Amino acid sequence: MDKSVLSRNNVKVFGNGSQPMLFAHGFGCDQNMWRFITPAFADDYRIVLFDYVGSGKSDLRAYSEQRYSSLDGYAQDLLDVCYALELEDVIFVGHSVSSMVGVLASIREPALFARLILVGPSPRYINDPPYVGGFERRDIEELLDTMEKNYIGWANFLAPAIMQNPERPELATELTDGFCSTDPVMARRFAETTFFADNRADLSKVRVPSLILQCSDDIIAPTIVGEFVHRELAESTLHRMKATGHCPHMSHPAETIDAIKAYLSIAGIAGKTELAHQ
Amino acid sequence: MLGLLDRAPCGFVTFAGDGTVQDANATLLEMLGARREDVIGRPFEALLTISSRIFFQTHLLPLLKLQASVEELFLTMRRVEGADDVAMLANVSRREQDGVVVYDCVLMRLKERRKWEDDIVRAKRAAEEANRSNSALLSMMSHDLRTPIGSIAGYCDLLTMGVRGPMNDAQLGDVKRMKKASDYVLSLMDDVLSFARVRAGEVASFDMRTLDTDAVLARTEALMGPRMEQGGIQYQREECTPQVQVVADPDRLQQILLNLVTNAVKFTPRGGRIRISCRTTGARALVDVADTGPGIPTDQLERIFEPFVQVPGTSRADGGRQKGFGLGLAISRDLARRMNGDLTVASIPGSGSTFTVTLNSPAAEDAT
Repeated sequence: MDKSVLSRNNVKVFGNGSQPMLFAHGFGCDQNMWRFITPAFADDYRIVLFDYVGSGKSDLRAYSEQRYSSLDGYAQDLLDVCYALELEDVIFVGHSVSSMVGVLASIREPALFARLILVGPSPRYINDPPYVGGFERRDIEELLDTMEKNYIGWANFLAPAIMQNPERPELATELTDGFCSTDPVMARRFAETTFFADNRADLSKVRVPSLILQCSDDIIAPTIVGEFVHRELAESTLHRMKATGHCPHMSHPAETIDAIKAYLSIAGIAGKTELAHQ
Repeated sequence: MLGLLDRAPCGFVTFAGDGTVQDANATLLEMLGARREDVIGRPFEALLTISSRIFFQTHLLPLLKLQASVEELFLTMRRVEGADDVAMLANVSRREQDGVVVYDCVLMRLKERRKWEDDIVRAKRAAEEANRSNSALLSMMSHDLRTPIGSIAGYCDLLTMGVRGPMNDAQLGDVKRMKKASDYVLSLMDDVLSFARVRAGEVASFDMRTLDTDAVLARTEALMGPRMEQGGIQYQREECTPQVQVVADPDRLQQILLNLVTNAVKFTPRGGRIRISCRTTGARALVDVADTGPGIPTDQLERIFEPFVQVPGTSRADGGRQKGFGLGLAISRDLARRMNGDLTVASIPGSGSTFTVTLNSPAAEDAT
């Protein structure tokens, strides 16, 4: 087991089951975003959480601009975690951009994954007529501006986790206690990598069955995009949620849990404990 | 009081857990050019510009679910009529009302301050870009210069070994001087390359391990001993007892210590003393490298860590003429900081300087 990956990606493992459920956070937050969902699965599965390098409490020293300038670098993080824990038969749950990261990882290592659960996926955010992604390039440029201004005024929440500030050591403690902390430069790069990506052509290469959780009124991944993903992904199931917005796992955890459980149950993956194997 | 809230010089809005606006004051409606019915019952995010809606969904909403409040937000809101947007500074906090979660949001309009912040962001980006291209240029230059100089040094070696036939003593002396000069240029190039890489964030992987300080110092000593002897400098290392451990990348720590000792040798006059010792304070381990050189004027203490800066007239080498690019300390401090540590200096002009490398002990690293 490569222990360095476990600390690099701040990997957390818990739960009573044997089949792994690997949760991958989206852009803007970290593994904390799954805290309303994981308790519902911890009895039946082995829960694996991690932060991508550059997010949350990952080791920022391992950041490389080159590696993380494409989603393949993030997919490598995900696969590294799988290898380090020697995971098999993984139920992957990815939010937002992590849906595409999971898609890329599953194309490279299809045998590793049992199911992909994609929460609010989008293979391309920028419109490319006739394809509708929902955004124009300038919207994303403005988002980068908004982020940067928030990182200026919002240092107490989102400043880098290993900010060098020897004159004020108390800052460091404050930050490690904060949620969704991130380094501004890395966050900006992550935003560019996410929102300027185009993974439409990758969808048809996926062989692992998948569930698409589509929210209503999701500005980031509109319904039309969810339908596109469903059309392109073989063996995919599209589930339309009542939940609005882009983070149903945080805003509507009960509905999200029910949808995932129902899908896994129909797929015949009801969660196997160690005891069930004996 | 209600009249005050309605007319206060800032916007108030309350939205439910699902984002539906429950109430808004007159000032906010005025700022957005909206009627009450345009706002009440609609999602809060519908009042935002597209970029702020993305920010709301990806950053703000997750944070509000995880913690009770978020302050000093920059958001842009849409005016109902017209394309112009309104920049706002917002604070949001969560509260329970009759057992239901609601969010209260205060919004202050940013006008002049927005322009000023735009300028800051632009300047920051330009500086980052300039820094990146500088580092890229330095890195490319050093690499392109390093290769031919490396081959000059290699051919000098071949000639010295007599591979091309015998040389007389004068020729041999010349070739040795050429070799020495090219080695020196190579070491300068290595400094520049190393500096450019650290600054460009390219030294990606630090192999962080628990190290015995004594062992690291012994290696430094083995490498630097002959130079100190040659310079007539008295060397003293205090045993680190009880065993002081640090968490660091062994090669990078070695690089820092070599740099510090090389500097100390450079600045300590014949007959002077270099003393290395270590200590711990709390969860930090400190290594001190002290010399009896000329010291550093107080107003220069921080400047010496800036790249390409040297304190003039203090080196004993070449009668006070500076050698090198003045990158060693900049590189060393960057490396120390990237290993969760620091490099600092204390100095008494006329008596000497003490450089201190601070690093985490294993206990501190476990706690983070």
